Amino acid sequence: MTAFKKIEDHLRKEAKNLLEGGKVTLVLAYARGFDEKHPVPCVVKAAADADHLVFNEYCTYNMARYLTRYPVGTKIAVAVKGADSRAVVQLIQEGKVRRDDLVILGIPATGMKNQKTGEVIDAKTTASTINPVLYDVLLGDEIHGVKAGSPYDVLAEFEGMDKDARWAFWKKEFERCIRCYACRKACPMCYCDPCFMDASRPRWADKSPTDDGTLMYHLTRFYHLAGRCIDCGECSRACPVDIPLHLFHKKVAKECEAMFGQAAGMNIEDKPAMANFKGEDSDQMLG
Amino acid sequence: MKKIAIDQFSELVKVLAERGPLYAPVKGKEGVNFQAIKNPADVTLDFYNTVLSPKSVFFPQSEDMIRYRITHGATEAQPVPQESRPAVILGVRPCDVRSFEIMDRHFLGAGVIDPYWKSKRDNTTVIGFAFDVSAAADPADFYNTFGYGAADPEGSDVFMVRTDKALLLKSMTDRGKKLLDSLGFLQVAGAQDEKVFEETVKKGKAVRTRSAEINPQVIAKKLVSVFDNGEFWQKVTMACIACGACTYGCPTCYCFDISDEMLFKEGSRKRFWDACTFTDFTLEASGHNPRPRIFQRYRQKVCHKYSYHVDKYGCISCVGCGRCTRVCPVNIDIFSIVDEANKL
Repeated sequence: MTAFKKIEDHLRKEAKNLLEGGKVTLVLAYARGFDEKHPVPCVVKAAADADHLVFNEYCTYNMARYLTRYPVGTKIAVAVKGADSRAVVQLIQEGKVRRDDLVILGIPATGMKNQKTGEVIDAKTTASTINPVLYDVLLGDEIHGVKAGSPYDVLAEFEGMDKDARWAFWKKEFERCIRCYACRKACPMCYCDPCFMDASRPRWADKSPTDDGTLMYHLTRFYHLAGRCIDCGECSRACPVDIPLHLFHKKVAKECEAMFGQAAGMNIEDKPAMANFKGEDSDQMLG
Repeated sequence: MKKIAIDQFSELVKVLAERGPLYAPVKGKEGVNFQAIKNPADVTLDFYNTVLSPKSVFFPQSEDMIRYRITHGATEAQPVPQESRPAVILGVRPCDVRSFEIMDRHFLGAGVIDPYWKSKRDNTTVIGFAFDVSAAADPADFYNTFGYGAADPEGSDVFMVRTDKALLLKSMTDRGKKLLDSLGFLQVAGAQDEKVFEETVKKGKAVRTRSAEINPQVIAKKLVSVFDNGEFWQKVTMACIACGACTYGCPTCYCFDISDEMLFKEGSRKRFWDACTFTDFTLEASGHNPRPRIFQRYRQKVCHKYSYHVDKYGCISCVGCGRCTRVCPVNIDIFSIVDEANKL
């Protein structure tokens, strides 16, 4: 069981020290929202405000999402759970943030809960990545001995469908899409500026919410995240109409891992799978 | 006042759906939302409130205004005829009913009448539906702030109250009366039912949501005075990821975009929802964007609803339904922001 209170105390203490010592100018973590079950992502800039930080089972946000907002060179401490730390690694690999600019506050956590339903989300998202893959300070103790399956276990049902059934499945899911773009905006790896969906010359997809445009949007996003999705599940949690976007991302991640022998954001020494060429890379995609 | 047994409810739905478009709450994977009813059995009354607001009935997310075809260099264009069949929207919560009046001020009362809103609004009978007055309000709700109760019948054409075994239906307008009179199979409610209805309305006044002293005129001026307080706006909107969930969920957000979309030689000019939090909301053709930063865009959202709307239409453009807070991926809470600004 994760010692949430202990982690919270440690987080506050660490944030205070880092800000007081001038090691960082801001700390990205969590604060209380309109009630305890609804925390909010927050940035603390003054040591005196460190006591506002919280950590509980509803702090599902991937704070790495906010890193690319700040100019390179900004000294930032960021609180990250298992999958979130993979986003930091991936962002470093992609040259969007610098390792030297960061103090990574790692949080080993199990039992994180969906704010809407109270359901434990571990198996759906981070799965076996319980401990942060990269950190400078560990808040709490590493968790070992938890029986966590493969992150791809949840794909079983989806993979059991034939092509037509999969097509029907996604068409039905996308019917609900309202194009609020919460999925791309919540995603730590979606930092394109402008996003292809916002480009008007040329316009790659209908701006109005047509079925074709919605399909274009999601499929392009799914493939643009190939070898980059770090499996935090923020897209599905952000979706106001509960489209299980993480399933598609997981499927693509699984294929990528099989073809290129690496999962996104697991090792800082890796190069991004899609930006690297190795002699032994799979030729499968060439037929 | 009329009534119908709960187990006969599907009969009412069936008749309404046969007569013309009926919009009612339907349970989907995402929760309950308003939908045009094809199958009467789909309608549910077991919900707190819909995930998205009922505004889409009068202001669909996407709507064709003109359809056109290009032939031999000439363009044939036809305006899209407006829906003229009488429609019914059933199951609207009291706070959401108030949103229609607020939207009317904009779409009908701004000097230019919006024909798309008007045609649907004029032809639609609104059946309001009391919240369960014995249950607590959702923690995100704050409709008490605007003086609304959980079972206020005002604004509805017909107001519906659910008791253990029956649905009580009281007409509040001539249009509502006409509808109820035309439904011959409804029973006439007795004195006891009238009493239950009145008691529910009264109990609804005692259901507590979050609430703050917010006077429209005062907050309108206040927000103008804190407009330049960048530190405040950046602090309260730090978490905002600039998606459009709050706007799309909101019953009183009416901004739309217009675009010509065509495939081969045929296309349409459409209008569809837009959101002030989007990066390209105010992006100009020159490439200049007057609101490049997220806090500037969220500030626009708050100020439009609580300040500019008061100046222009005399009321706040918010009903406290709590949807923006519930659908926000990062729990940004407009109520807390306005309350904090009010106390600055």
